[in-house]
Amino acid sequence: MPEPVSQIVAQMPRGKRAGLLLLFLGPAVAIYSLFSIYPLIATMALSTYTSDPSGARHFVGLANFETLLGNSLWSKPFWNALGNNLIFFTVHMCVQNPIGIALAGLLSLPGLKLKGLYRTVMFLPTMLSVVIVGFSWNLILSPLWGVASGALKAVGLGSLFAPWLGLESSALVTLSLISVWQFVGIPMMLIYAALLNIPEELIDAARVDGLGHFRIFFHIKLPLILPTISLISVLTFVANFNAFDLIYSVKGALAGPNFSTDILGTFFYRTFFGNQLQLGNPTMGAAVATVMFFIILVGVCLYLFLVQRRIRRYAL
Amino acid sequence: MTIEQRARSVGVHLVLVAYSALAVGPLLLVVMNSFKTRSAIFGAPLAPPDAATFSLVGYEKVFRASNILTYFSNSLIVTLVSMALVLLLGAMAAWALTEYRFRGSTVLALFLSIGIMVPIRLGSVAILNMMRSAGLNDTLTALILIYVAQGLPMAIFILSEFIQQIPTDLRDAARCDGVPETRIFLEVIAPLLRPAIATVAVFTIVPIWNDLWFPLILTSSDSTHTVTLGVQQFLGQYITDWNSVLAALSMAILPVVVIYVILSRQLIAGLTSGAVK
Amino acid sequence: MANLRIEHLNKRYGAATVLNDVSLSIEAGEFVVLVGPSGCGKSTLLRMIAGLDGASSGDIHIAGRLVNTLAPAERGIAMVFQSYALYPHMDVRKNMTFGLKFTGVPPAERKRRVAEAARMLRLEDLLERYPRDLSGGQRQRVAIGRAIVREPAVFLFDEPLSNLDAALRVSTRVEIARLHRMLKATIVYVTHDQVEAMTLADRIVVMNKGRLEQVGKPLDLYYAPANLFVAGFIGSPAMNFFEAKVESVEGGRARVTGAGFRNLDLPATALKVGDALTVGVRPEHLAQGTTGPFVAEGVVELVERLGESSFAHVRRADDRLFVAEVRGRETPTPGERMTLIAAAQDVHVFDASGLRVS
Repeated sequence: MPEPVSQIVAQMPRGKRAGLLLLFLGPAVAIYSLFSIYPLIATMALSTYTSDPSGARHFVGLANFETLLGNSLWSKPFWNALGNNLIFFTVHMCVQNPIGIALAGLLSLPGLKLKGLYRTVMFLPTMLSVVIVGFSWNLILSPLWGVASGALKAVGLGSLFAPWLGLESSALVTLSLISVWQFVGIPMMLIYAALLNIPEELIDAARVDGLGHFRIFFHIKLPLILPTISLISVLTFVANFNAFDLIYSVKGALAGPNFSTDILGTFFYRTFFGNQLQLGNPTMGAAVATVMFFIILVGVCLYLFLVQRRIRRYAL
Repeated sequence: MTIEQRARSVGVHLVLVAYSALAVGPLLLVVMNSFKTRSAIFGAPLAPPDAATFSLVGYEKVFRASNILTYFSNSLIVTLVSMALVLLLGAMAAWALTEYRFRGSTVLALFLSIGIMVPIRLGSVAILNMMRSAGLNDTLTALILIYVAQGLPMAIFILSEFIQQIPTDLRDAARCDGVPETRIFLEVIAPLLRPAIATVAVFTIVPIWNDLWFPLILTSSDSTHTVTLGVQQFLGQYITDWNSVLAALSMAILPVVVIYVILSRQLIAGLTSGAVK
Repeated sequence: MANLRIEHLNKRYGAATVLNDVSLSIEAGEFVVLVGPSGCGKSTLLRMIAGLDGASSGDIHIAGRLVNTLAPAERGIAMVFQSYALYPHMDVRKNMTFGLKFTGVPPAERKRRVAEAARMLRLEDLLERYPRDLSGGQRQRVAIGRAIVREPAVFLFDEPLSNLDAALRVSTRVEIARLHRMLKATIVYVTHDQVEAMTLADRIVVMNKGRLEQVGKPLDLYYAPANLFVAGFIGSPAMNFFEAKVESVEGGRARVTGAGFRNLDLPATALKVGDALTVGVRPEHLAQGTTGPFVAEGVVELVERLGESSFAHVRRADDRLFVAEVRGRETPTPGERMTLIAAAQDVHVFDASGLRVS
């Protein structure tokens, strides 16, 4: 419950209030609007133009979008990127979040020793730059170095090894798993915090009722942390559809092999800046960005309207 | 068995140790091997460096062939200045929103919270144009402005929650004494926000330090590169030079790890308390 | 209903001993209240009976079975928690039957038990509601209902009334007493409120710093406290204490002097000259008068009028206050000198270590 507004403030003269607001809010709102909101709107506006070789811009309405979605020169890589992004997202939802929930469940067991140490260590990868993570794993999985293949051979699974990052069929999933490896810490910490919030007496009551630990987790804890889980899902969605750094640093702008690791972020970068295969096209880039924005918006709205309303936050 | 027994059971610790090893192993591997000679890297990758295999050749190359120190100082400048601005402007805005309620304040709050969900990168096309026309292309200032804009929404959100918990009486008591509003903010409110700083820091510093996208787009000359971008390009360039590559990676890893280990308790406490909101 | 036997129970957390050699025997159908100040170990003891925490050493038997290694659900207990601990995401009916499902009780039986408990606790109309839509008193009844349907050997209550307001506390207290009679249940009840203890218990267990101070019927504890702690804890307002010393011993009787009262004559038994004693008299046992076995005097400082009875706070010679109950409309005025007497059986004497002197 927010504190009631101070009565003294409520009775301040209008002019004074306005002056204070300008002083305190002004800078933050200005910088935010100028560099966060305005560029988005400007980009969306830009997407309705094309530029010709001379550099002049012509208004073309939604033509860029028609090209993007209809012209196979553009639509094929676009749908490819979108599809890959969905795979990327699915791997995160199916691997990252369940593992994060399971680890949080283990960490929240009362009386666990070394809890702080585990938490610190397991959260470490999240602190690192994606560049580091990508490259380190690239080296480790590289057939040249032999660390991964050696480790698998040691447990008798040597035949499973393949240069996963280099194969079209496995590169995307491998990169997704690397990303999962890095970011498991976030759902883990958020769910851990939510689990801590569940009063101890509730768990005691469940034990007296005869529930074993697994049942307590599935029937009591999980329903009560559902709001947090859905929050994590939407954050994962936004992050995944905005992702770029990992693919770029491991595979470069071309997101090979053969565009199998191309996701919307890299597609956007390539369209906008160009690379050895094509010239940069700012207006088409703007169109791609606009489409990405709407995809993310749709996801967030779905979350806000469907999930937020249905899932109740239980007063604990 | 009682729940205490279960917590101590071998199984639980086995899982946690296994996952911890998985989390830390790859990094350990990289750092360890960065101190070895090339033949030792390939010959016995899992062995730690000993007297025979110890070598700093990779590190020497990194220092020689790249401006790694410049990159570090750039990253430091950008991160620290951005964080300072985010904290100051964010606190001021959070204070104004909570305290000086006015007709449009909920709308404004909503407006500001859009930034949490929507990625700022999508506006890059326009951002680049803006920076070019303002002559700020290829400067650290450009990066700072972007990161401040990016970090403000989350900071305002977190700080608002904290400010709401400060009792009204405290603020009014100062007003009754005739203290001007700005002094109230600086001397009464700001010190009380100290616990929130850890939380805001976590959410602000890490994404800025590790960001690849904006340095990539906005900085073209080597002297303005950040660590993340610099290392990435170095890696791309010397990709077959394993010593240097491992050394560069280690140099990028170690500062973050050291700071993280030192501050881990505050960081995690900040994350769990902020996240609960 | 069954009995409960606790033998030499100890609990240590590191260097701190929270429970020290606690032994207790509770008969079937008895209502036993564990009472004491915060930190005395009563909740710890309850949790150990429940099986929620393990003991460092000692045995617990429920209904004749040794339950030390059994999980809470296997011990035949049911617990009512201070904060009710209702599952927020389940309705009242589900809250009550949830545990039964996992202990293998068939659906028809579950239904019967819920209906029975709902009738007993007047919850029939609330079965479809969720905890957040219930008042504090209603939630408390649901928590009790959840315990009843388990048909346990022993009911455990952990300060169930502390979250209720004063009026509700009284009515729920009556409710719990009624249930005890109806179900003929064996109940172990923890509270810090000695009024609850006195009104509900068949026997009271007074605990302090991990030890049992005294175990007995409420009136026994009231009229014959075994030590200083129990004497000061039971009874409201608290017993008055006067520091005293044995002045002389002759002819089988000892003369005891102290500040605030005239010399007291006691049967000597084991008393020696110079022994330090504490003399205790309850405010309600002090009456106005001038002669008696025990006479206290002082100047009235403050009078609290509650209607038929009033409490006079009197300052005595050593500058400390003692309280006397005065009945009727005529009450003393501040500044007035008062002389109060007590009967011999209402004077309690405790030795230097706090133990009762017989």
